[in-house]
Formats: sequence, structure tokens, C-alpha cells
Amino acid sequence: MQREAPPLLHRLLKSQIQILYIARVRKLLFRQMLVGIKDGRFFLGNFHCLDKQGNIILQDTLEYRSIRRSSPSPTEQCYLGMILIPSSCMTSCHVDCSIEEQLSLI
Amino acid sequence: MQPLKLDEESSSIQHKPQNCAISSGDNSVWADVSPLLSAACTDLHEGELINGDNFNLFAAMSALEIMDPKMDSGMVSTFYSIDEAVENGFAPVPVSADSTVDVQSTIDIMDHLLVCEATWHMGHSLAQTVFSCIYVLRPEMTSSQALLHSYCRVIRATCRAVVSVVSDARTNEEEDLFTMTYGLPFNEDEDAKGLLLLNAVEETICRQLRACKATSSKKRLMEDLEPLQTNPQLEESFCKALLCRIRFRKHFLHALNCMRRPQGRGLELARKHIAYCISELDSVLESAEFLRSDVVENGNTEIEESTTASGRSPIGFDPTLNKRLSAPTPPRAIKLLSWKKAIDYYVKLLHNLDQICVFPLEPDLDAVLQFVIRFQKSRPDLVARAHLQLLLVQDGKLYGCDTFLTICARALALDVTKHHGLHNNEYILQLNQLMINLLKILCANTPWQRRKLGKILNDWSVFNVQMGISVAHMMQQDTSRTSKNGDKSLLILNHIYGWLEEQINWVALRFLMLGFDLDLYSLSEYCMVYWYMYIILWKLAEKARFRVLIIVNTEERKAKRNKEYSRDMVREDRISLWVLFLQCQTCLAQGLTVMIAALRNEGMCLKSEGPFNTENEKFVQHFELLQKASLPEYDAYESFSESTSHARLDYLPVYEYFHDAQKIAKDIKVGYANDPDKLAEVRGLEQVAERNIVAVNLFCQDRSLKVSFEFTHHPYFATAVVRRS
Repeated sequence: MQREAPPLLHRLLKSQIQILYIARVRKLLFRQMLVGIKDGRFFLGNFHCLDKQGNIILQDTLEYRSIRRSSPSPTEQCYLGMILIPSSCMTSCHVDCSIEEQLSLI
Repeated sequence: MQPLKLDEESSSIQHKPQNCAISSGDNSVWADVSPLLSAACTDLHEGELINGDNFNLFAAMSALEIMDPKMDSGMVSTFYSIDEAVENGFAPVPVSADSTVDVQSTIDIMDHLLVCEATWHMGHSLAQTVFSCIYVLRPEMTSSQALLHSYCRVIRATCRAVVSVVSDARTNEEEDLFTMTYGLPFNEDEDAKGLLLLNAVEETICRQLRACKATSSKKRLMEDLEPLQTNPQLEESFCKALLCRIRFRKHFLHALNCMRRPQGRGLELARKHIAYCISELDSVLESAEFLRSDVVENGNTEIEESTTASGRSPIGFDPTLNKRLSAPTPPRAIKLLSWKKAIDYYVKLLHNLDQICVFPLEPDLDAVLQFVIRFQKSRPDLVARAHLQLLLVQDGKLYGCDTFLTICARALALDVTKHHGLHNNEYILQLNQLMINLLKILCANTPWQRRKLGKILNDWSVFNVQMGISVAHMMQQDTSRTSKNGDKSLLILNHIYGWLEEQINWVALRFLMLGFDLDLYSLSEYCMVYWYMYIILWKLAEKARFRVLIIVNTEERKAKRNKEYSRDMVREDRISLWVLFLQCQTCLAQGLTVMIAALRNEGMCLKSEGPFNTENEKFVQHFELLQKASLPEYDAYESFSESTSHARLDYLPVYEYFHDAQKIAKDIKVGYANDPDKLAEVRGLEQVAERNIVAVNLFCQDRSLKVSFEFTHHPYFATAVVRRS
């Protein structure tokens, strides 16, 4: 019969995993991040900040949008600078990384 | 984002986001980090952030919030783009398959464009107003519809002309959005053809109108004319409604183009076009009754606020289509003027432009300054003021004709035609620039004008000192040579130096008076304001009187040398009258200073000192710029305090000041008999003096009376109003 880890140890393990997630996200700072939102637009910028609610701040952001509702359609881009993307409108979030690096994200 | 459980994978990998053609870098892929971010969010404490060392919360506050309509200019509202709007039939061509509805809708579009244009003139952006119309954005769409196409082309040409005028005058910094075209299309060649096309359309509609009015026999001859729409009963009214709008548009562009001709050569013709515009606007207003006859009214307010004569919403307009042009942030939503208010705006603009056209372009600085002041009384808008400025200052000369040296010398009855070297004198060049700046500032709106006048006082004052030192030095060195070779350059420079002080005081007086226009003075500050006005007016009158003496002296010597020389008595009389006018104002200012000081000292009026500022501090706040320019040269506050602290109502000179003002006003009314505006102002000054004499009499008899001040007779000189407590 497997013994359960004592509560203190469990809490210790949990906090270490927590630190791991936060640390891994910290490593993504200043990296190119591509965020998609509900109305079909994408924002490509440098990952600058994340808060507990999941809101993201990107710097030097380019906005990509379609010029037609139907797809496929040509896209146009526009420079926006620093933007805040509320978590409620996000549909996807990708980071530009090398094939080797992606393993570390697992 | 949904928080993940601890045993789930914290990230997954995808090569590219779905439906996205944005490539990652070389040898890199897009990795989905949503689960990782979710897990990290769950583990963060409240208020904790994941951010780098360079993160600054204050800077982050300026980040644009996506999906916030006030900040996100890329948010999709109705259509993704103009092309999509067109493909979805948002701006159909023709506007309607039913010809009657087509004509009605075209008239609505014209009316709404008029409103948009007027709203743009009032300070909003082109992108949200005129270019919110897809037919104007894409005129090639309407090439098969001569009326709509030519009208839109002429609108664009008109906008281009107005942008050009305001940009050249550089008055647009006060309304930053005005001249920004955001890369919107302005095709000069194609738009210029619009007038030709519009003329042809006008001719066609005129023939159609004649056909409507013709008897039945003549109508048989004109049967080949295609009617505008299918209902013969309405044809005449529709023709008239269209014609007045087309003609207004045409004549307005012509008027603007004529006014831009150099040296005011096109002003007379511009006046004719302006008269046509005003007449056509009357017809446009009259057409409203017919146009809204078939519209069910939902209450008077809706019609009053409507942007078209008919009350219907126009087709083909969407101000959100261009909001990305003003990225990164979208412009604030604007409220368009109503159609009636737009017409009123144009009527006022046309009257202001007409005022400019009527100006006789006298090469006389006093006349120019007086004209500009009078013009500004009607609070003209940006477009009119830009036209005035460009008329006055062209190529660094007055009206593009005379240098300011010539103009200044003429003000002193001096002839500089033989002194070509003077034009390149460093002080004359500086004076030229100061005069150009002054005229440009006087054409600006009131708040900006006052701010700039205060700032240039110091420039004028420094220039005055430098020129004084230089001229004195030159005169010391040159006394032996002047009369030998007949070179009067130094003498002219000396006279101009003397004239400078008069100009500085004129600018200071204008600065003080604009404070009343802008309601910058509270009742408790009137005493110090009138005291300062009295000081400046007194100096100005003295300098002007001195100038009259110089002129008289110069003219008499010229007349002695050349018996055929005829003196310009008109100029002498005008300046002498101006001196008396200033003296009248000086007496009034002095009287008001003493009266208000006496009321204050006897507790019948508010004191200047308040809970936050001392009287001295308020004095400095109001007059700091004047004091920096050494106006006056002594300690102004000390002098003010000394001259007002002992004022009492019983002090007899109070009566003398107002009586003197009254007497001078009566004397100079004759001189201004041919100038109705000036005559009205002098009558106003006379009434101010009379009423204040009565008020002072009443105060002396009953100290318990309540006093207030009103500007019923003159905008800058208050009249005391007495009430029982």
C-alpha cells in the first residue's frame, strides 16, 4: 500500500512546482509572443508582464488583422507599441522558440 | 485561461497558431504556452506580477487596452475594411434603383457632407467627418453617376484648398486635428476636374428645370430630356433643391480660390461668389420644407438635430471605418453639428470672408491694426482667420506689396524710397520679423492671441533697448556727417526707435483688454487691472501724440521745401483723433481705478486679497509679463498701492476723470461720423462715463448701497450698477 506524502512534504513539493512554473514563465520575458484574440486579430510583441488574472502586456507590438471577415483574406499590420491584452479576450498564446528550447517548455 | 491541475502537462507544442500566416523566426517554431501561463497564474499571489527588471508600472499605465473601444482603434465595429463595406452594399451605386429615392438620398448625402465639412472646420478630424463618406473616399466608384461623382470631387478639392490655407497660415496648432489628412487621398488633378463636371451637371438640371416650367407645347420639344425622377409633380422641387446645393458648392470653391490670389487681387471676384453662396444657402434652407414633406416626424427634436434637410439618415457614411488612420489610439467619438447649425456656421463664415474682401488694403499700419481688432470682435473661426492672415502677410510684406519698413516709415510720414540700404539694416530686418509675428498673432483665436502677445512683449522690449543703444551710439558718431550727404537713414532709424515704444504699449493694452474677453479678471481685481490700463493708456497716448508732432513737423518742412507738396491731412486728422480716443479711455480707466479703490477702501466692494493669495501675489500673477518687459519701468505694485490706498468717494478728482472722458467722447463723435463701429464704441465710452458719474453721486449720498459692475455699454470699461441693500 502506497503511503501518502506527509502534508508538510506535499506543501513543499507543491511550492517547488509553483516556483518552477513561475520561473519558466519568467524565462519567457522579452521573448516574441503571439497572442490571438476573439475577433480574429493577432498581436506580436515582446512579452513584458503577466498578472494573476492572466492579463498580458506586450511591448513593441504589431497588430495583424484581416481586411475581410471571410477567410482566407489578406492581412494588414499596424504598429501599436505597448498594449495590454485582457485574458477574457485571448484565444491563443504562442512564444517564438527554437526546436530545442521547446522541450524545456514541456 | 483555465487553471490546470498539478499533474497535467504544463505546455504543449504546436508549430503555428491556427489560421495565422505569421511566421516565426528562422529555425524556430511557435510553441503554445497557454497552459504554462495558466499554471503560473494560479500560483501567483494577488497583486503579484511576472515582469522584468525594466518594468515600470507608471509606463505600463499608458499601454493600450485591447478591445476597449476608446483605446483600441483596430476593433472591428461594422466592417473590417472599406472594401468589405463596399462589397456588402454599404455604399450602393446608384444609391437606389428607384430614381425618386435616388435623388432624395443624393440630396441627403450632400446635406450630410455639408454638416461633416462644417464639423471639420470646428476642429475635428477629416477622417471622422468628410472622409467618413465612402463616396468621397472612393470617388472612382461613382464615376457612372455624374451628380454624386462631381459633387464628391468638388468637396475633396474644397477640403484640399482649406487644408492648404490653414497649413500655410500655420494657425492649425491651435486645433491639431484640422490639417491632418492621415494619408487620405487628395488627388489634385482628378479633383480639379470636378468643377467642370459639376458645371455640366448643373447645366443639365437647369434644362430639366426649364422643361418642368415650360408650357405643354414647349414640353413636346424638350421630351428628349431625361427627368431626374419618375414623379412629375416633384420634379421642379427636386431640381431646385439640387441646383442650390450644387451652386453653393461651386461658388464656395471659387470664393476660396479667389481669396488665395496674391496681393488681394481676387477679393472683388471673391465677394461676388460669396454673395452667390449666401443666396444659395437661403434657397437650401427653403428646400427643407419640401424635402421633409413625406417624412413622418417623430418629434421636433429629431428634425432639429438631424444632419439632413429631410431628417433622414444618409447612406454611405461610417466614421469608424477610418479610425485606424489615427492609430495607435482611436479618436474620441464626435458629435456632428445639426444641419441647421451647419448652415448657420457657413453663413457666419461667408460674412467673415466678405468682411475680409471689403477691406480696402490700405498700406497704413494703424488702419490694418484697427481692422484686425474689429474683425476679431465677431469671433471668426479658423478658416476665416487663416485667410485674413495670408492676405496681410505674404512673402514677408504687407499684402505682399510693401515692406514693413515702408509701412512703419509711412506711419511717421517718412519716405524711405531713397534709402535702399536701410532695408538690409539688421534692426530693420528684426523689426520686419516682429511685425510679421505680431500680425500673425493678432489673427489667432483669443486665448492663443493673449498668451502670445504676453510673450512677445519681452521680445519687443529687448529689441527696443538694443536698438536704442545702437542708434544712440550711431548718432554720437555721426552728428558731423548727417546733413552733408543728405543721408537721413540714421534719422529714420531714430524715429522708428521712438515709434517702437508706442507699439509696445499698444501690444500691452491689447493684452490687458483681452483679459476681459476671456473673463480672466474677478471683480476684486478690477482695481489693479484698470490701474494698469491707465498706466499703459497714458503712455500710449503720449507716444501717439509725439508721433503726431513728428508728422506735423515733417510735413511742414516738406511743404516749405516744395510748394506743390500736399500734406496728407487725412492721416494727421486720423492719428489726432486716435490720440483723443486714447485720452478718453485713459480718463475712464483712471476714473474706474479711483472709484473702485474708494469703494474697496470704504468696504463697499471686494478687496483684492483673498484667503489664498495676497494682493501683491495676484498683481504679479496677472502682470508678470508686462513687468518683465519693463512696463512700467518702476515698481508697479508699489505705485499701485500708493495711488489707491487713500482713495475716498469724496475725493473730487473722481468726478473730473469721468467728466473729462465724457467731454472728450462728445468731441470726437464728430470725427468718427463716417465710421459706424468706432462711433458706436465712442458712444459706449460716453455712456460708461455718464453712468459712473451718477453711480458715484449715489454712493456719496448713501454708503449702504450695493454695487456691481456690468459691461453693458463697453466690453472693457465697466459701468457701476447700484442697488439698495
